[in-house]
This record gives sequence, structure tokens and C-alpha cells, in this order.
Amino acid sequence: MHIIEVSNLAKRVALAGNELTILSDIVFTITQGTSVAIIGASGSGKSTLLALLAGLDVPTTGQVYLAGQDITALDEDGRAAVRAERIGFVFQSFQLLPSLTSLENVMLPLELHGRADPEARAWDYLQRVGLEHRLEHYPKQLSGGEQQRVAIARAFASEPQILFADEPTGNLDSKTGANIIELLFELNQQQGTTLVLVTHEQRLADRCDRQITLEAGRIIADVQLSPVAVVAEGTQ
Amino acid sequence: MRQPWLLSVRLLWRNLRGGELTILAVSVVLAVAVVTAIAVFADRMDHSLKQQSHAYLAADRQVSSRFPMPDHWFTQANQFDLQQSRIIEFGSMVFAGEEMTLASVKAVAEGYPLRGQLEVSQIPFATAAQMQVTTAIPAPGEVWVESSLLPMMGLALGDSLWIGEQSFTIKQVLMYEPDGNRGISMTGPRVLMNIADVPATGVIQPGSRISYLWLLAGEEDNLERFKEWLEPELGEHYRWRTVEESERRLGGALNRGKSFLMLAAMIGVLLAGVAIAMASQQFARVNQDAVALFKSLGSPSGQVRFLYFGQLLCLGVLATLLGLAAGEVLHRFIAQSIGALFNVTLVGASLQPYVIGFFAGLVCLLCFALPPIWPLPNLPPIRILRSDVELAAANPWLRGGLGVLAIMVLIGVYSLDLKLTLTVMAGLFAVTLLAALLGFVLLKSSRQLGSRAGSIWRLAIANLLRNGQHSLTQLVVFATAIMLLQVLYLVRTSLIDEWRLQLPDDAPNHFILNMSANESSAIKSRFEADHYFISPLYPMVLGRLVAHNDHHYQEEDRGKSNTLRRELNLSWTAELPADNRIEAGQWWPEWQGEGYGVSVEEFTAGELGLSVGDKLQFSLGGLELSATVASIRSVDWNAMTPNFYFLFSPGALENYSPTYMTSATIPTSDKQFITELIRDYPTIVVIEVDRIIERIKSIVDQVSQGVGLVLWVVLMGGVLVLVAAVNASMQARLHETSIIRALGSSRRKLVGSLWLEFSLLGFLAGLMAVIGTESILWSLRVFVFELQGSFHWQMWIAGPLLATLFIGLLGALACRRVVVVPPALVLRELQS
Repeated sequence: MHIIEVSNLAKRVALAGNELTILSDIVFTITQGTSVAIIGASGSGKSTLLALLAGLDVPTTGQVYLAGQDITALDEDGRAAVRAERIGFVFQSFQLLPSLTSLENVMLPLELHGRADPEARAWDYLQRVGLEHRLEHYPKQLSGGEQQRVAIARAFASEPQILFADEPTGNLDSKTGANIIELLFELNQQQGTTLVLVTHEQRLADRCDRQITLEAGRIIADVQLSPVAVVAEGTQ
Repeated sequence: MRQPWLLSVRLLWRNLRGGELTILAVSVVLAVAVVTAIAVFADRMDHSLKQQSHAYLAADRQVSSRFPMPDHWFTQANQFDLQQSRIIEFGSMVFAGEEMTLASVKAVAEGYPLRGQLEVSQIPFATAAQMQVTTAIPAPGEVWVESSLLPMMGLALGDSLWIGEQSFTIKQVLMYEPDGNRGISMTGPRVLMNIADVPATGVIQPGSRISYLWLLAGEEDNLERFKEWLEPELGEHYRWRTVEESERRLGGALNRGKSFLMLAAMIGVLLAGVAIAMASQQFARVNQDAVALFKSLGSPSGQVRFLYFGQLLCLGVLATLLGLAAGEVLHRFIAQSIGALFNVTLVGASLQPYVIGFFAGLVCLLCFALPPIWPLPNLPPIRILRSDVELAAANPWLRGGLGVLAIMVLIGVYSLDLKLTLTVMAGLFAVTLLAALLGFVLLKSSRQLGSRAGSIWRLAIANLLRNGQHSLTQLVVFATAIMLLQVLYLVRTSLIDEWRLQLPDDAPNHFILNMSANESSAIKSRFEADHYFISPLYPMVLGRLVAHNDHHYQEEDRGKSNTLRRELNLSWTAELPADNRIEAGQWWPEWQGEGYGVSVEEFTAGELGLSVGDKLQFSLGGLELSATVASIRSVDWNAMTPNFYFLFSPGALENYSPTYMTSATIPTSDKQFITELIRDYPTIVVIEVDRIIERIKSIVDQVSQGVGLVLWVVLMGGVLVLVAAVNASMQARLHETSIIRALGSSRRKLVGSLWLEFSLLGFLAGLMAVIGTESILWSLRVFVFELQGSFHWQMWIAGPLLATLFIGLLGALACRRVVVVPPALVLRELQS
């Protein structure tokens, strides 16, 4: 089943009177439960594509279907509802709220969506990322790796169908980055989430089932690295 | 979201705890505190001054009549919980052996005076140190007399004085009665007696000229309710009198003082509003990432709006309550220090200023804090990935309009003074515009300066220019704050100076009346021999106004008007007195009417409905005199100089055997001079006004002190604005200086450039503030306080200089963190 379908997607912006094409002729589908890396040089349109897939931005032409629903036909609030229901994020700059503790940062989406027992659930996920001893710490009291773990816990705590990650190791040293990659894939495996990540780190891209390579806003390669993954059957 | 309010509150708590909202919260708390403190203080001050001025009625209200009050009124007043006392005033001959003179007798009942105090002495013409305050009144069988009566009749304390058929012992010299300001009258020296003795004197006969006064004091509400009850009963013979109509002289000082306090409160509100707007702008800026996160997490705009507005509202209520408490403490501190230092008793405040304080907080929050936050929910969610996506600012016209609206509403509620509000608003508007324009030019031209300067200068100026928009905003805010403070300071200073000028130390302190034509030159030379100042002589004739055009005044007209009831002091002069101004018509010789002309004082003209060209008929000792109203004149009652309600054209009164009056300065140390003068010329009347002057001076001093303290409170508001402005740029500064430090710049150089940058901002702001202040002051003085415009050269030096020092210091202090914290730490914090 295709959790994401993209047809004829294009994004153009007007810049100083000229029209600049950021993305064009983007067509692909993503099967549920797989992991896909979008790679390419800086300025190739990776992040724009991610934003369009997640409904954070609107395309100039083309459609994005998430779980069969055309999100490009929705207004901002409609897209927000889709994000709330199906999507999680991990960002390069972590995007933790500085005034909230680790626990509160993880609780935040659960509280926003009115999920039951947000504290217990947040606690559970922080434990899974190995931060049960850091619950009451503020972001600035945590290392970069720890902050990204909190962000990962936050992303998985709302049990999204699709997790978008934008350069999740971009701000981390290579050892910490490796640990984060491990954690991301482990949780992904456990929950059967569809993982779409933007990276230019080959090590990370290599862990994915599939690599879509962009250049100047077009797909120049779409390589399947491993057989289509099946949805994980429960956790160990 | 099941419990949206709960989440708002939780987020608010987390934001407060994390320091995100500290500046905004502190701004609101301080704003409300400042507003409340001023409002409460102004209210108490207002009440106290009113009470003080009520001393001039010896009560809060008076009922006056030529007839006694009906007894059932007294019982009714008791039911309204009012204090009461009574006065009977009449003119009567008093006798001691062979001597006799016309005296102005005042018989008072227990409780008199209900407001203010009597002062007495054992020596006639006593100095302040020889006087005592008393709460008693003359006992039956006693009289207290004014100083001049003793030498006039050759009497001393303990001697007997006859009033009518009754003999009294002279017990004290009466030095001061709060309601003794009778103006210039010919009724002779005051004799104060007990009301119980009046029947025994037998002087009250049908037809005798007697004033009955009923004094009332109590809670304002009760007085007003009692007035409602009494009014239908008053009829034409009884008059209800308030302090406003009885004391125009003090009224002027009071109203200016009040206008000033309103101005101060208004400036307090403005400063607070600016501080809140800046803090809120800052809050909106740092919360863009949070909003982007909420949206990426799937929160619709509505939810984000609810979360933020909810936080704001909760914060507003909390901070306002805290501010109210802080304001209460602050004002108590002010009241206590003023009370202890200057021996002023402030009466309690009403609830109204607290309500105003509360609403000020909420209105400030809605109109200043909400606009910057308003567009926050519309932030595009893509911001989470691209930090260059900025919030589209709310329509500046809408924001400006809201701010103006808020100020108008607040000031409207606060002062109910449209003219004051509009003057300041218009001035402010022009100045802000001018400051922005001028600031732009100055900043641009500092680039040239910078390119030729040393490296610290270059760094400082580069900093200013790089953040051009922000520097300009800071500049306008600084300039506005400094300007408002300067306006306040100078208005206060010039008001106080103005008051003092009106009552200079060498002002004439005695009036001398009833000199005959042949006495006057001898008296004048006696003054000159002792080198005492004596003013020109004014001729004076007593007369009554009997007809206006074709209307002959009747008994009922006289019942209503003091001017018609009593004999008037009429005079003539060729020169318009210095403190008089023609409001309508013409002064001679421009006036070309037929016969004699008369110039009428404006309040009198208003009371009697007289206008230029009307025909008036006077009766002077049985002789008729017709005159045409040539002009209406305003008179400065603040000045202690002879003034007349009716001034005729030269020559009009020459045939009516005038007496002469003048004012003179006799040192308080030489009261013997007066004693001898009265002994030698027993028919003249000497009125001591020095004590009245002293009273007014002490009130002016009290108002000035209060006004000065209010200024300090507002100054705190100004500092708050400056701190908020510096704080708003802190994040960017931290980032920049960390990078510069990481690149190897020395700490000393950075501190130097920071100090320079703020000093430069301070200097430019000070300069613009001075320009603005001068223009606002000019319009305030001319349009609101109705004084003459003036130029303040000292301010042109002190303003920019102090602003440079103060803002330089403040900036360097506020930014010290950026040079103290290790750059690595800052960079990491900022990154996360």
C-alpha cells in the first residue's frame, strides 16, 4: 500500500521578477513501513520536497496524497489536521522549546492533541531513548545528542504513520550521529513507521531501503537498496 | 484538545518559569503599579487638597442666608451623618469707654471651624512663632479680636468691650481664621464671639443686616445626597455654597496641580504602553519557532491563537493584580515619605483609582501587547524548516491606531480632559514622526563620521547601522521616553516657579483703606520715610448696583447675588492694572461710548449677565450714577494686589468724595509701625494679607512636593521602557558579540564599543527629545496651562548630556552579559 503518492509536483517561486524553479516533474510513491532517503547537494530542493510532502508548504502544481488523501487540496487547517493525525518530525536543529523540560517537550504534542495520559506516555518514550534520568532537564542543560533524543522521543510518542526527518544528524558529531541513526531506525522498526529523511550523510542514506537523489529540483536517481520492507510484526 | 484553558495556563506557567515571559510580565506589573500608584496618589492628593481648600469655607459646604435656617434642617443633616456648625455675621459698633468703632462681628457655635484651624496669640500683630493653633472657640462672655482693634481703641487683652447691650472680656488676639478671607471690606476689624451670647447683645433686630452661615462637613456621598434633599427647600433666600465658587484664587492653583498630575499619569500610561509593546514584540519574535513547532505538530491556527491569547489574558490578569498590589505599596511609600517630610495628612483614596489601575493593565495588554502577538498564529508552518521565513508584521496603521485608541480611552477615563489629551497626543505624534525622520538622517550621517574614526567607534557605528531598523526604533523609543520625562519635569518646575512668582517675597502684605484725600499724602510720606514700599493710591467710593438696562433690581435679585446685596468698592483709573486683561470691549481712551464707561470683572459680568454696551445704574450714597459697560476684564486673583469688580473711566467718581486705598509692604518684624499708624489715623483700615499669602505658599509647597514625587514614579516607567528596549535587542547582541569575541576581539574593545553605541543612541535621542519637549511645552503652556511660552536653554545642554550618560551606562550594564559569558556557551545556547 502506498502511504505517500506524489504526482507531477513542482514548486516555483518568484525571485526579483524572475521565476525560479525549485522542484519540477516530481513523481514517486512510497510504500508504508519503508524508509526513504532523499539525498542531493545543497540547494537541490531536498528540504522543499520534504516540506511539500509534510504539508508544511504548498506546491505550485501537482498533488501529494498521504494515505490516499490529497493534502494539496486542503487548506492550512486541513493539512494541520493531517499532520496531527499521521505525521511526526525530527529536525536538524532539534526544535525543542527552551522553556520546557525534556518531559514537557515530549508531552507537548500529546497535550495539544488531547491524548490520554500524556505524562506516562512521554515518560515511556524518554525511557526508550535512554533519557529517563534527564526528565526535568531543560534543553540547554542537555548535549546535542541528548536534545535530538528528546526530539525523537517527541516524534514517536504520538505514534505517527510517517516520520519526516530533516538532516537529523546534521548538527551532531559523527559518533553521536551514529547513535542517533541507530535509535531512529530501531524505533522505526518497532513501530512500523514510514520514514522519510533528508540527508547528505551517506552513512545515514545507506541505512534506508531506498534513495531518491535530487539534482536541480529533479529526480535523477531512485534506487531501491533492499526489498520492500514488511511492516514490523510487533516489538521484541 | 479537551481542556484548552488548562493547556494555556500550563504553557503560561512553563513560559514564565523558563523566563520567556519575564520581561512582558514585569512590564505589565510595573506599568499597572506605576499607573495605580499615580492614580491613587493623585486621588488622595486631590482629596487632601480639596479638604485643605475646604478650610476656606471652614467646612465642606455652606448654606448662607440673610435668615436663620429652619430647625428641621439640622435634624435632617444629622440623619445624613453630617457634622454641623453655625455662624452669624453682622456689622456693629463696639464700645470701650469713650472709644467706639465699627467692627465686623462673627458669632460662632461649637465645632467651628469644621475644616481648617483658628490661630490666636497673646500679642497683637504677632509673628508666626508667637501664634498658637486652637480648637476652641470664645467661651460665653469672651471675645477674641483682630490686632488692629486694640491700638485703634487703645485696648489691651483683659479689657472690656461692649457689643450692643452686653460687655465682653477680650481674651485673645485673633490672628487667623480659615474662612477669614473677606476680601477688601469696610466693615472694620473682626470680633469673634460665642453664638450663645448673640441674643443678649440685642443687636439683632428686624431689618438688621445679618448673614447666617450653616457649616456642613462629612462624606462626599452624604453631602451630595443631603444636597439633593435640601435643594428643593432652599428657595430664593438660601444659597448652597461649595469651595469652588468661594475660592477662585486657590482654585487656579488646584486645577493646575491637578492638570499636572493628570499629565503625569498620562505619561506614565504612555511609557508603560511602550514598554509593554516592546516586550510583547520581543515575546512574539522569540515565539515564532514555538508557533512553527505547534503548527508542524498539527495545531490549527485557531488552537495556536487560543493558546497564545489565553496565555496573554491569564498573564494580564495575574500581572495586573500583582501590579495593583505593587502600586499600593509604592503609593504608600510615597505618601509616607511626603507625610513625614512635609507634615501633610493625606486622606484615604476612593476605590476608583484601583479600578482605573486594573483596567489600565487590561487595556494596555489588549492594545499594546496583543497587536504584536496577533499575527503569530498565521505564521507559515514552513518556518520550522526555514528560519528565514519571518512573521508578516501586523498592519502598522492598525497597531498604531490601537495604541492611540488605548491611550485615548485610558486618558479619557483618567483625566476627562480632552484638551490636555489632544495637546499631548498631537505633540507626541508630530514628535515621533520627526524623531523617525531625523533619526534616519542622523544615523546615515554617522556613517561618514564612523569611517574616519578609530576602531572602537567604527565597531559601535557599524553596529548601529547594521541594525538600522532596530536602532531607529530604539532611537524613537528613547527619544519619546526622555521627551515625556522632560516635559513632566519642566512643567512641574515652571508651574512651581509660576506660583512662586505670583507671590514674591516682597509682595505687598498689607492693604490700607479708607484714607481721606488729605490724610493720604501724609500717610504716604510716612511710608517713604521708613523706606517701606507703597503702591499707587486708588480712589474708592462705596456704591450699590441698582439697575441693569431697564431692569431695576428687586429684593429677590439681591437674595441671589452677593454682588447686588452688598456695597461695592468702586474705583476709576486711566491705566489698566498690570494683572488685568481685557476680554471683551475696549479700555479707555479707545472706548468711544457716551457718558461714563465701566469695566466689569469677568466672573461678576457672568454672574449678572452683563455684556459690553449694557447700561448700568449705581447708587452712591443716595446719588445716582449711570455708566455703560465698556469692557469685560479678567483679573489675576492669584496676585495680592488691589483689584476691583467695577472700574470706571477717569473722572466718573470724582464728585462722590472718594476715600483712598493702597497696598504696602511692611516687614513682619515692624508691626509697631502699624500700631502707630492706626493710633494716629483711627479711621483708616489696615488689612494684613501676609498670613493669607503664607497659607497659599504652604499649599503651593505641598502641591509641589507631591508633584515632585509623582515625577519620580513616572521616571521609573521611563527606565522600564529603556530596559525593555535594550532587552529586546539582547538576543541578537549576544549572538553578534559572541561571534566577534570568537574572532578574537578583546573584551575591552567590545565594552568600549557597546558603551559608545548606547551613548551615541542616547545623545541622538536626547537631542531629538529636547526638540520635541520644547514644542510640546510650548503648546501645553499656551493651550492648557494658559501661561506664556518660554525657552529652556539649560535643557538643550542637560538633555542630550544626561541622555548620553544614562543610556550609555544602562546599555553597557544591561549588555554586560554579552561580554562576560564565554562565547562558546552563548553560541551553543543560541543554537539550541
